[in-house]
Amino acid sequence: MTNLSHEEAYSELAAVALDAAPSEVSAAVREHAVACPECGPELVAMEETVALLGQLAPQWAMNPGHGAGIRSRLLMRARGERESRSSAAPGPPDLARGVASLTGLGHKLTPGSQRAIEEEVKKVLPQQKRKPPFFRESGLMALAASIAFIAAAVQLVRVTSERNAMRAELAARANTPTRTDSVKPVMSEKEALIAAMAGPDVKIVPLTSKSATRMGRMFWNRSSNDWTMVVYTMRPPKPGMTYQVWLVTDSAKISAGTFMPDSTGHAFMQAKYALDRNALKAVAVTEEPAGGMPVPTGAILVSGSAGP
Amino acid sequence: MLLAFAFGGVIPTAVDSRQMNPSEQEPPYTREIRSNAEDVALIRRMCDADETALGALYDRWMRSLYSLVFHLLKDADEAEDVVEETFWQAWRKAASYEPSRGAVSTWLLTIGRRRALDRLRAKDRRREDPMARDGRILAELPSPEVDPAEAAEGAERRTRVLAALRELPEEQREVLDLGYFQGLSQTEIAMATGQPLGTVKTRMRLAMQKLREPLSMYRESAQ
Repeated sequence: MTNLSHEEAYSELAAVALDAAPSEVSAAVREHAVACPECGPELVAMEETVALLGQLAPQWAMNPGHGAGIRSRLLMRARGERESRSSAAPGPPDLARGVASLTGLGHKLTPGSQRAIEEEVKKVLPQQKRKPPFFRESGLMALAASIAFIAAAVQLVRVTSERNAMRAELAARANTPTRTDSVKPVMSEKEALIAAMAGPDVKIVPLTSKSATRMGRMFWNRSSNDWTMVVYTMRPPKPGMTYQVWLVTDSAKISAGTFMPDSTGHAFMQAKYALDRNALKAVAVTEEPAGGMPVPTGAILVSGSAGP
Repeated sequence: MLLAFAFGGVIPTAVDSRQMNPSEQEPPYTREIRSNAEDVALIRRMCDADETALGALYDRWMRSLYSLVFHLLKDADEAEDVVEETFWQAWRKAASYEPSRGAVSTWLLTIGRRRALDRLRAKDRRREDPMARDGRILAELPSPEVDPAEAAEGAERRTRVLAALRELPEEQREVLDLGYFQGLSQTEIAMATGQPLGTVKTRMRLAMQKLREPLSMYRESAQ
């Protein structure tokens, strides 16, 4: 369906605005609307009207930690794109390249290239010898100047080559992971974990099941806003479901994320969320559809009171 | 139309409410106009590669967008993905935003809804019973009372959209509901309601035409 009459296109405008028409019909209507003085504005008006319906969706709050993560990622990507755009602009001219290009041999001079220069010199010398005596003196001066220039160029290229080789070697060394390098992130990670779970400002919430069986602990570092939960003997959730952790305050149940226990029933979860130090009343775990829910819908399986 | 042209003197000046006499009634839609002018200014900064403007736009509209796409997808992870994709597209395509085609918020919601529908349709996922009333937004219109938490943004608009919808016959609200909030095609709506396709098309068109007039001021306020 590529050619629609005006009447056909007009009758489909509402469905197209609602994205409820088949894609080929939608494409044909849009093609018609571009040139039609009646359908074009009508479609725009309908699309805008449709978009207003979006205001009526029930309000759901995104997991605050996830929301902050998305925001950070967006800004990082945007910054990265801006910086890559600006770095793509041509930089200042390379002096070595400019000088080398004057020799007509380019800037990537190798030992082979140097031999070529020497051959050029040899070509020049016999020509100078064939000059008549009248030109001999000035010719010799020009020859000397040429040789001096070429020698300077060769030296410059040699130094540049050595510098580039050293830079390449340094870069290669920097990129080669050493044993120390590979250990560093692990150590940093462990230090961060210890900091999150220990320290004077860490509140520990014991977690128990409904039958009061000890199930794990939540560590809340109130200085760094780190939440670290460790649970054990958790059964796998039902198919298509996941476990979700909630920070319960007087006014809200805030999702701290989802987790799945491993084959031994152990699970470890970390989140970062700023909460007033007196606001936490309890921590709870519910079973929710995979992906998690904005508000708890399942029964509480594991919980712990934050205490005074 | 590039922003350079679109911005040519058509952006309403933001009103500083501190300068208003408290006894004066704020003119209708002034808040909408002011809010959109601020959004448009953010889009303009995004065109100049100012990523802080993207952050500010995200803070203003993330919740509305998430609410809509979560309602469509019923999956928090996927809804979050769509929110991120939508704001990233807004960053990349900021220069293509045309104020004459609506407010920034509706532009964002349109992008997000289309992305959510693409995901729904790619997986051919559908609500088991699209006629079930528990997921229907327009079957029983929510109260138009303004939630104080969202009074600053969009509450007035929401109230007026609800008022306009109340004027529609139920069968017209139903096709809008199934088309917009359930993401059904008109053929699927015909099957779900047991009505001929032609009837569905007619109801859609009539509903849209009736909504256009009372809501036209929001299109004008965006320009």
